[in-house]
Order: sequence, then structure tokens, then C-alpha cells
Amino acid sequence: MLKVEGISASYGKFNVLFEISIEVGQKSTVITIGPNGAGKSTLLKVISGLLKPTSGNITLHGERIDDKEPYQIIELGISVVPEGGRIFSELSVYENLKIGTYVKRARKILNRRILEIFSLFPILQERQKQMAGSLSGGERQMLAIARALMSQPTIIMLDEPSCGLSPLVVKNVFKLVDRIKAEGYSILLVEQNVSRALELADYAYLLESGRVQFSGKREDFVQNPYVKKSYLGM
Amino acid sequence: MIILLLNAFANGILYGGVLALLAFGMNLIFGVLNVIHLAYGQCVMVGLYVIYVLTVMLGIPLLLSCLIAIAVSSILGVLIHLLTVRPLLKAQLLNQLIALVGVMIVLENLALAIFGGDFLAIQLIFPVFSVGNVFIKISMLIPFVCSIVTLAFLWLFLNKTYTGLAIRAVVQDTETASLMAINTKRIYLITFVIGGILSGIAAACLAPIYSVHPHFGSAFTLTAFVIVVVGGCGNLVGGFIASFIIGIISQVGGVIFTTEIGELLVYVILMLVILFRPQGLLGVRVKA
Repeated sequence: MLKVEGISASYGKFNVLFEISIEVGQKSTVITIGPNGAGKSTLLKVISGLLKPTSGNITLHGERIDDKEPYQIIELGISVVPEGGRIFSELSVYENLKIGTYVKRARKILNRRILEIFSLFPILQERQKQMAGSLSGGERQMLAIARALMSQPTIIMLDEPSCGLSPLVVKNVFKLVDRIKAEGYSILLVEQNVSRALELADYAYLLESGRVQFSGKREDFVQNPYVKKSYLGM
Repeated sequence: MIILLLNAFANGILYGGVLALLAFGMNLIFGVLNVIHLAYGQCVMVGLYVIYVLTVMLGIPLLLSCLIAIAVSSILGVLIHLLTVRPLLKAQLLNQLIALVGVMIVLENLALAIFGGDFLAIQLIFPVFSVGNVFIKISMLIPFVCSIVTLAFLWLFLNKTYTGLAIRAVVQDTETASLMAINTKRIYLITFVIGGILSGIAAACLAPIYSVHPHFGSAFTLTAFVIVVVGGCGNLVGGFIASFIIGIISQVGGVIFTTEIGELLVYVILMLVILFRPQGLLGVRVKA
């Protein structure tokens, strides 16, 4: 479904990604792990069109998207939960959800969709009139995820949803991601919390210094001696 | 004296309403693009010249002239955006500012070349009515009502439509807005169209009060800029409140002291705000 083939990318003269190839299939959960600065977030930026790759190509449902603008890529069915959630803090909770249906295909379903989302996240219904900036850290992340679900995307990309949250809240965020998975969405999850992310994964990629060092199905991935030693502390 | 002050206060509120309209366009453009539209007052000036040419020279009814002026101003807004701002979107902010100063100089000198340096007015005489001891000029009341109605429509547009919501999202976070499938370039263009329409309506509102001349615009660019800063750059509600503060202070100050001191007080307010509340009345302080 989403295919990234031989992508390289750079910030100015500084090369960040080197010939990365990953793939996310229908209804599968794929995670990308790796240390800080490995290029995980950059990879999501390239897929969503915020950063143009210097080489390689990306296809979604067989259609090339690497030369498209972000708004066109989102229209094709990708939703993004950016790092830190990046909710619109001076818009109300309701407006944050409404803007999730800005994509043309989703505008008609706003009223139905918002009820579905409220049944999934009752706390957002309680707070719908509040400014999003008044939410707690965990609620913001919840809102960011709910906003991404509003348009009923085919694939949802999450950039370190657990970053900067307390352990208890992190647990809830992963529960949320698990619920999205159960709803049948395809997920591309970038995480530093390796052990928790692996619990959800069907397939995993290890990214180091802008290169895919290792990849495999979860069962194979957790058995890899290098992954075990460096990332799982075993 | 009290009666004089009351009159000045009423005038200040009426004047503030027109200022609110004038500053709104500049404020919105700053909020969305982070660019101070330094040729904004000059766009209003173009609108005033259009109204003058149509009503005085061609004898077209005032209302129709005003509508044409609004159309011309919105086209001018589009042209300024496409020719100077869009090509420089990825350049440093200073470049856009300099380009807009260029537009300002071009427009002023075009006006000078075509119309000469004279003060041109449409010569309308409106009646005055009184509420108790307070005299209200119809020529001030009509623009005030037009401004408030326009701003009310704008408020509805920003709060009730998808495009309005998208504009407010871009004001807060352009990158995340683009991840919501918002075409930010289109929003930039729409913002300049709105700015153009507002400068046209401002011209229509000011036409009965002021006579136009080639340097007419700079005073209004400056006043609008002061309001934007005092309100908290890009904060639309802050700008609205600041307009009335500035309007009332300049009018009341004009009565207590002289008109010049009244104008000067406006800049005293600006300096006080910059010194003691640099984020503006309702602005949020951004950590460096």
C-alpha cells in the first residue's frame, strides 16, 4: 500500500537519510525504531511531503506521491500525528476535530464522524468547547490522534506519540494506538519506547544514522541479537 | 469642557471603528504570513483615488463607485501577493518587507504622476445630529456602521466556514495546517484578497471624511501598524480593542491639548506598550 523505495534526503548539505526502503501493507502496524537523530522523524516528513527527497520514490496505492505537496498527499488518505501532537491550542477541541475533516472527501461525514470519535474518546466530548491549549499533555496527544482519525484515513503515521509524557500517560497512549490497530487502520509508528512499540508491531525497522540496519517481522526482530542487546537490554 | 470631552469621546469611538477595519486587514495578513503589509495604506489610497475619479470626474453614483473601488482593491491585493510576496515566500522575511516598501513607493509616485500633489475630495455634505449635548456627524456614523458590519461578517466567515477555520489554523501553525490537507499557498492568496477587499471598504468609509493626496497612505499604514503592534501582532481581537483605544486617545487628546499632541499620544501608547507589554494587549509572549 505505502511503499518507500531508496529514499535519500538532506537538510541543506547535511545528509540525513540514505536509500531508505520501507513498506506498510494493508491493516498492518509497522514501527520504525532507532536512537535520536537516526532520521525517524525525517522519514515521516519526507512521506508527508514536508521535505522533498533528493532521490528515490514513494508510492501510495501505486500512485507516486514524492513530488506532491503535503495537502495533496493528505487528500490521498494519509493522516499524520506530528511529534508532540501539534494541536491548534487557540482553537477549541471541537474545531481541532473539525479541521481533521478539511480533506474534501471527509467534509460530508463531519457530524457522523465526530459522534464516533466522541464515543471513542468521551473526555473530548466533555471538553469540546474548551480551548485545546487548556488540555493536559495526555489529552493533547489524544486529541492529536482523534484529529488524525477524523478523515478516516487509510494509513495513519504517528511520530513519537509517547514523547515527553509521564509513564502512566504513555501507557494510555499505547492503549490508544492498540485500539486504532484493532479498528483496522494501517499504522506507521515511529518510537523511541522500543519495548512498548514492539508489542504492537507486525513488522519493524531499525534505523541508525539514516540507514535501515535491520528489519523483520516482530518475532524475528525481537530475536535479533543486536536488537536484543542494544534496544531491549537483554 | 466636559461636553467637549464627551463629543471627542464619541468621535473617538466612531473613528476607532474605521481604524478597526483598516487595521484588520494588516493584522490578518501578519497573522497568516508573518509579513507586515507596508503598502496597506497605499492600497486604501488607490481605493480613494478610484472613488474620486468615478464620482467626481465620471459622475458615477457614489455607492456604485465604492463597489468598483472594492473590486479594484481586491485585484490590487491579488497582484501584490502574486508579484511580490509569493515569489519571496521562501526568502528571508526582510526581503518581503523591502519588496512591500517598493510597492509603497511605486504606488505613491504613480499617484503623484497621475493626479499631482493636490488634495482631492468628493465634497459631500452630510447632516449632523445630536444626542443630548453630543453631536454626531453622519459622515462619521455611516463609516462606523459599515466597519462594524464588515467586521461582523468577517467574524462569521472566520468562525463558521472551513476556509475561515483553515485561516485560523495557518495563523497558529503553518506546517501542521498543511498536514490537515490545507493548501497554505491558497490560504495566503485568500488572505490577500480579504486584505484587498478590506482596504477597498476602508477607502469607501474614509471617502466622505478625508481628501486624498499621494502621501495619504503612509499615515494610515503607520496607524494600522501601531494598532497591530498594540493589539499583539496577529491577534485579531487585540487589534479590534486597540483600534478603539487609539481612536479615543487621539480624539480626546486632540481636545485636551492640540490635534498634533493627540496624534503624538498614539505613539506614546505604542512606546509604553513596547516597553511594558511587548507581546501587545492580548498577545502571547513567545519564548525565544
